[in-house]
Amino acid sequence: MTFGNILIILAEGAGYTVLVTLASISAGLAVGLSLAVLSTLRWKAVSLFLAVYTYVFRSIPVLVLLFILFFGLPGIGIRISPFVSMVATLGLVSGAYLAEVFRGAMAAVDGDEILAAEAAGLNRWEIFFYIIMPQMFRMSVPGMINEFTSVLKYTPFAYTVGIPEIMKEAMSLAALTLRGLEIYLAVGILYFLIYKLFVMFFMTLEKRFRVPGLASK
Amino acid sequence: MALIEVKDLAKAFDGKTVLKGINLELSEGQSKVVMGTSGCGKSTLLRCLNLLLPPTSGRIIFKGEDITRPGVDIRKVRADIGFVFQHFALYRHLTVEENVTLGLRKLKKMKATEAVQKASHELERVGMIEHRGKYPAQLSGGQKQRAAIVRALAMDPAVLFLDEPTSALDPEMSREVVTVINKLFLENVTMLCVTHDPFLAKYISDSIIFLDEGVVVAEDIAERLFYNHADPRIKHFFMSVIDHR
Amino acid sequence: MDAFIQDLIAYWPQILAGLKNTVVLMVIMSVTGLMGGVGVFYLTLSSHKAVRRWMDGFISFFIGTPLIVHLFLMYYGLPELGIRLSAFTVAVIGFTLNVSAYNARYLATAYNGLDKTELEAARSQGFTRRETFRLIIMPQVMRMSVPSLTNQAIQNLKDTSVAFLIQYHDFFAQMQEVASTNFQFFKAYVTAGAVYLALISIIVLAARRLEKRIALPGLAT
Ligand SMILES: Nc1ncnc2c1ncn2[C@@H]1O[C@H](COP(=O)(O)OP(=O)(O)OP(=O)(O)O)[C@@H](O)[C@H]1O
Ligand SMILES: [Mg+2]
Repeated sequence: MTFGNILIILAEGAGYTVLVTLASISAGLAVGLSLAVLSTLRWKAVSLFLAVYTYVFRSIPVLVLLFILFFGLPGIGIRISPFVSMVATLGLVSGAYLAEVFRGAMAAVDGDEILAAEAAGLNRWEIFFYIIMPQMFRMSVPGMINEFTSVLKYTPFAYTVGIPEIMKEAMSLAALTLRGLEIYLAVGILYFLIYKLFVMFFMTLEKRFRVPGLASK
Repeated sequence: MALIEVKDLAKAFDGKTVLKGINLELSEGQSKVVMGTSGCGKSTLLRCLNLLLPPTSGRIIFKGEDITRPGVDIRKVRADIGFVFQHFALYRHLTVEENVTLGLRKLKKMKATEAVQKASHELERVGMIEHRGKYPAQLSGGQKQRAAIVRALAMDPAVLFLDEPTSALDPEMSREVVTVINKLFLENVTMLCVTHDPFLAKYISDSIIFLDEGVVVAEDIAERLFYNHADPRIKHFFMSVIDHR
Repeated sequence: MDAFIQDLIAYWPQILAGLKNTVVLMVIMSVTGLMGGVGVFYLTLSSHKAVRRWMDGFISFFIGTPLIVHLFLMYYGLPELGIRLSAFTVAVIGFTLNVSAYNARYLATAYNGLDKTELEAARSQGFTRRETFRLIIMPQVMRMSVPSLTNQAIQNLKDTSVAFLIQYHDFFAQMQEVASTNFQFFKAYVTAGAVYLALISIIVLAARRLEKRIALPGLAT
């Protein structure tokens, strides 16, 4: 079996890796965005909840959270599929980070613009959707790319709950052929390729929507 | 013998000539000012003279030694030339005193106490002693530039280069700094100063070098350069800078 | 008493040993990762283009590939070449490379925010590149990077849990053990999560104090 063959076999698992990554990113964006919107309410209870949420999900290791959801929850009568546990884990964790990214970006939106929008008669939600959000997303690009990279890099944990992604395929193959060195090297290369593609994709996206003067350092 | 003697100096950036055929002399105790339109090569000239930029051709004789030759100890040459920048360039993580003593301790290998003593003495000279413990961020522009001048002077350089030392300052702070440089001038500190400010130029120079498109066009005392010069480029330049004040 | 708590008490020595292993690994990789990060950062400023290229490649590769792959490569792959490393050694090497890459990137980001005229001033005073790095660049860049570096330390602590996948007997591995004897997975893992939270709180508090102590006027961390 050549190195090329190994790459091809593993690439079959890449589909799941990408699927888990995309689903987790979407979940993370949904969570992060909701938290960021909530934070604009400035209610005491809400900010307390946000603080606790961020603290907890930034402190618990991804692997531990995954084990709580997949192996732990059935103990209290809740059973979720491997895929859902993986996506929920990464969604909850990256949501906490993304919320911070979004909040930072929102804080950087010029206050005068918001004042001007208020003066023009836009309501709270219109201001959020038409003035704040478009700027926030653009300024959040570097933070989002960082977070998406983290998500991608945590997806191999999915093998521990039995999802047939790259790592799982690699382990089966390694057990079968006893050629761990080439196989895990191939895994590294594959991940690096996916990473490069992701970054390229988001960079093109960023360029497409770039507005002069709205830097995303 | 001149302290610095520049012979046929030229500098080009990727084929674009910025300085050419520069000849000048600076004797010990002499102070000269370099003036000219923006982009004519003034900063490049100063940076070539202390080898922050490698000259493309020509020779620079410093203290009788050709420093453009290979094998010259560039560090030693630089340590012997004080440099004051337009935007101060104080080390932000060090207090005023530490900014001054860093070079003394690390380059001149002075003991800490000796360096502090020397720094205090020099800070006293420019009225900065009460600010010795402050960080650059806690100083006004004028104070920063005075601290930067002290940092350069404390090394006892053979010559002091100043690149537009007052152009980042508002008029009041600028005066503060002009006063200090004028004092150095009266003490016969050897200086080469680039400036756009005719006021500064007049009060701190023995003569003024006029640079245009990388060439020395004239060198003369302020009175003869400033008003109604025969060369239209010079006349035009000074009409515009002096009228603005 | 709750059966789970009794089990925790029964397994206490083992759990404590695991906790020690976790903390040891975290401390070691934070130190080696910081040293490695500074080294890589230094090389990214090299005057040789090839060196800079390699370092950029190093950083990009280790940021772009999962840690667990490096661990598996060394732990399950190297024996093929007759090189058999302990889980601990593999973890230290793998983490060090990974953490160095991240730290180097943080330092490089801080470096980009430096006022470059200070570096020119240092050169004009006669300082060498190395002196400029040590005396001017490092003191500023390190201060500016404190938040990212401490975040990385927190990340390090969390990431130690990955080492159990290569049979390192860390805290999480021990909790795993407890869970598999009494089948109280939920309680075991939640307890594990709570312990990580507590440990991280300690780092966070220490980091806050450090930030305050080394802050300078005009040099925001
Ligand atoms: N590192 C460099 N690479 C390429 N070109 C340069 C470089 N430094 C300066 N130049 C060019 O050389 C010319 C002279 O620049 P220099 O900074 O010496 O001008 P100056 O007389 O000091 O101008 P100013 O009064 O604005 O400070 C300019 O056209 C500038 O664009
Ligand atoms: Mg200039």
